[in-house]
Amino acid sequence: MNASRIRRLARPWLLIVAAGYAGAIAADTAPTEAQKLRHDHFHQLGEAFKAIRDQSRSKSPAFPALQKAAQAVNDASVDQGRWFPKGSGPETGKTRALAEVWTKPVDFAAAQKLFADSAPQLLAAANAGDIEAVRSSYGTVGKSCKNCHDTFRQPNDDD
Amino acid sequence: MTEGAAHTGVRVRIWDAPVRLVHWLMVSLIGASWWTAHAGKLDYHRDSGYALLGLLTFRIYWGFAGSSTARFANFVRGPRAIGAYLRRLPVRMGAHEPAVPGHNPLGALSVIALLSLLAAQILLGLFAVDVDGIESGPLSSHVSFDAGRYCAKLHGRNFNLLLAFVVLHVAAVLFYLVYKRQNLISGMLHGRRAFPAGAAPQVTFASMSRLLAGAALAGLVVWGVTRA
Repeated sequence: MNASRIRRLARPWLLIVAAGYAGAIAADTAPTEAQKLRHDHFHQLGEAFKAIRDQSRSKSPAFPALQKAAQAVNDASVDQGRWFPKGSGPETGKTRALAEVWTKPVDFAAAQKLFADSAPQLLAAANAGDIEAVRSSYGTVGKSCKNCHDTFRQPNDDD
Repeated sequence: MTEGAAHTGVRVRIWDAPVRLVHWLMVSLIGASWWTAHAGKLDYHRDSGYALLGLLTFRIYWGFAGSSTARFANFVRGPRAIGAYLRRLPVRMGAHEPAVPGHNPLGALSVIALLSLLAAQILLGLFAVDVDGIESGPLSSHVSFDAGRYCAKLHGRNFNLLLAFVVLHVAAVLFYLVYKRQNLISGMLHGRRAFPAGAAPQVTFASMSRLLAGAALAGLVVWGVTRA
């Protein structure tokens, strides 16, 4: 059996294997670099949110920790516009961001604005050392999170 | 069931009211917890969890201080008793089943498994944190965000395990209903079970003061957890 004959016989099988492999790769959606970065940003945001919640529940809130976390939340509200580059949606890899982020840009920008408008109030309350204002503005920021997640994030997370 | 068995049998109360009430409240609240978690109603989910914590605390206490059929020492048996029970399992005796009031040796393991998984589920929930750091269990401020997230993941997985044991439990009850012609469900509702005449078991019921002590203990545990 010569080399060209082997190649000719092997070609269909190679094609099938290659197609199957490509299919498996596509099915096993790994996050892209942009998706991973976004995930890390939101992870840090969640961490900061928990810190604010913990302190605002405490009988003796630690304001330095509260201010640091409120600053992180405020920074996120400024930077969030850069976290959703085109091509980082569910069509390219593993993400809970829905395609609506990119197909409804006006609505998405409005949802992001709610966060951008409320986060500075939380930071101001933390910096002023006013725990009651922290609690109420934390609630407002939390609502802005939920508002956006309801439309632009895939439901069902844990388990 | 033959006519004779129905006429000569005696009905004996084997489950006290606290055991039955705790059982059906646990059924309802596990369902409610599942639903509130999926509907995102975390305030109600927490309340449901606190109620389950109180019920679980009471049931464990009742397993040591309650009526004779509720006590672990009376129904948790060794491998020999389980083996003997399994050999007798295919026998269809209906109302003539030997008079063993309460949990059978294999069902005892199921009770222990269900209570342990429920305990783990509640414990994990106390420390769980959601992905946004907004919703969390009452003790989550004592752990980091990542630890809280890990608890939330295990909280989800442990629930599936709990569900599997609930399915097994229900399957066993249905096996008794269909194959052995014994209705264990109505027994858990009204507390009584038929026994052959002359084979009525002795069941000792716990006093009201013990019941009140258990309720107080359960309330104290829930209060402590929500206050911590």
